[in-house]
Amino acid sequence: MAPILSLKDLVKVYPSGTRALDGITLDIQPGEFLVLIGLSGSGKSTLLRCINRLIEPSSGTVVFEGADVTAARGAELRRIRRRIGMIFQQFNLVRRTSVFSNVLSGRLGYRSTWRTIASRPSGGDVSAVFENLGRVGIVDKAFARADALSGGQQQRVGIARALMQRPEVMLADEPVASLDPATSHSVMKYLEEINKKDGITVICSLHFLSLARRYGTRVVALKGGRVAFDGKPAEIDERRFKEIYGEDAIEVEIGPERSQPQPMSATEAALRAMADDTGHGAPPEIRPDG
Amino acid sequence: MAEYFVARGLTIPQELSQNPLTNWRRLLVIATSILVIYTGLRVTDIDTSRANPEFAYNLVLQLFNWDFRLLTPQNEFETFWDTVEGLMIITIFLGIIASAIAVVIALPLSFFGARNIMTGHPVTTTIYTVIRLMFTIIRSIDVLIVVIVAAVLLGIGSAAGVFALAFHNIGVLGKLYSEAIEGIDHGPIEAITATGANRFQVIWTAVVPQIVNPFISFTIYRLDANVRLAPILGLVGGGGIGFILFQKINLFQYGGAGLIIFFIVVTVAAMDFFSAQVRKRLI
Repeated sequence: MAPILSLKDLVKVYPSGTRALDGITLDIQPGEFLVLIGLSGSGKSTLLRCINRLIEPSSGTVVFEGADVTAARGAELRRIRRRIGMIFQQFNLVRRTSVFSNVLSGRLGYRSTWRTIASRPSGGDVSAVFENLGRVGIVDKAFARADALSGGQQQRVGIARALMQRPEVMLADEPVASLDPATSHSVMKYLEEINKKDGITVICSLHFLSLARRYGTRVVALKGGRVAFDGKPAEIDERRFKEIYGEDAIEVEIGPERSQPQPMSATEAALRAMADDTGHGAPPEIRPDG
Repeated sequence: MAEYFVARGLTIPQELSQNPLTNWRRLLVIATSILVIYTGLRVTDIDTSRANPEFAYNLVLQLFNWDFRLLTPQNEFETFWDTVEGLMIITIFLGIIASAIAVVIALPLSFFGARNIMTGHPVTTTIYTVIRLMFTIIRSIDVLIVVIVAAVLLGIGSAAGVFALAFHNIGVLGKLYSEAIEGIDHGPIEAITATGANRFQVIWTAVVPQIVNPFISFTIYRLDANVRLAPILGLVGGGGIGFILFQKINLFQYGGAGLIIFFIVVTVAAMDFFSAQVRKRLI
């Protein structure tokens, strides 16, 4: 099968000199649920943003369904972007406006500027808003202000907004990093559903290896802007984990003060600690995040 | 106080042993301030010997001996708009019109003067720099100076006052608006861009909702300031109530001047109050 997305030698060097991506080559097949893992600063966010050119790659190409994304300009780029949905760690909703307007904005790539200013959505778009809100189970919140919702609900609005694009690919940048574990699963399940039912290819960066194992059909680990691992989730054992996260990861992360209700593997503990923003002991390797 | 460090055999941090009386930096600041003020007093030669308390006392009394004839038209040539209350209303509208002109011009320009909107391309970055520089220059020219120039260009009267106020406020509002745009959350911009929206749609959908409240707040703040400034402009040829106030003072009609000042004070206080109320609700 032809890949839906094909990244070749993707390099991103920030003006500060940080080499966030150092030659990424990946073929992503339609229908995959690809999970990106790696330390903070390993290039996950940059990679996702280079796919829809929210960040301009320094060199290399991204080909989406035969169209060269990296060469596209203006309207052509926007036509590509509207087929690629995206959700974010901080949800990135327009907080002051209603859930309805936020979801509707997912349709902007298909609407004329005039319709945007006149705020005259077509009837089809309006029904699509409710349909997509229904899919993520928050139709009742349609006219609430976006910032009145809980984190999990806001992320579901984000998913509904992305679904408005009728995307073929969904990029998810740490979609559950700001959520508690229970809510994380509920959000991940919606991603799983759109992947399985709608056949939307999902590329999702995650901190929790357990989530990667549970939802991913393929795991790609980044380290220092390079692909450090590419394979099935089950293939990540202790040794591979250390390759990805560094030799010190486990030592540093397990602290006696961390009482956990259930026994868990050292790997799990390390990953949890890493995902925790207030975590004691920094990850062994920190770079400015893209 | 250093027991913690002594008990552990650690070196005592310098910060703990500092004495405010021997802190030479602090002493230097105090000494410099005294020197500057002393020099200022010597240089400016503030002389109070020419003051005439008795004359001043009489004058203040006259200021409160209000000339109520100003409240009604005095002859067949005068209308309501020549009375104090009429002129006050005119002056308020001078401030409003000037603000409106400034908003209409500053609003679109402010987007070009916002760094976060304009980065990414050398041309746009240049436009940003030029616009911000323009705002700064316009702002730095005081309204009173502008109104004197405008009075020469446009003739003494309302036109000069409105032009001067509007001109100055383009600079002030432009800067305030631009900074409000720079202060917004970037996340929605990213998200809306990712949907395939064009630049205008991104600004309309992701930026505008975030800046409506700060913009209204700044606009009311400037409207308030402009209504406060409008009477003063009359003194230097800007029309409105200030012009009449200046006339009364020159004619030694302090009773009339006092009444006009009273009207201005009440108006400014009322504007101040309402503007604060409205802005409080917007935050």
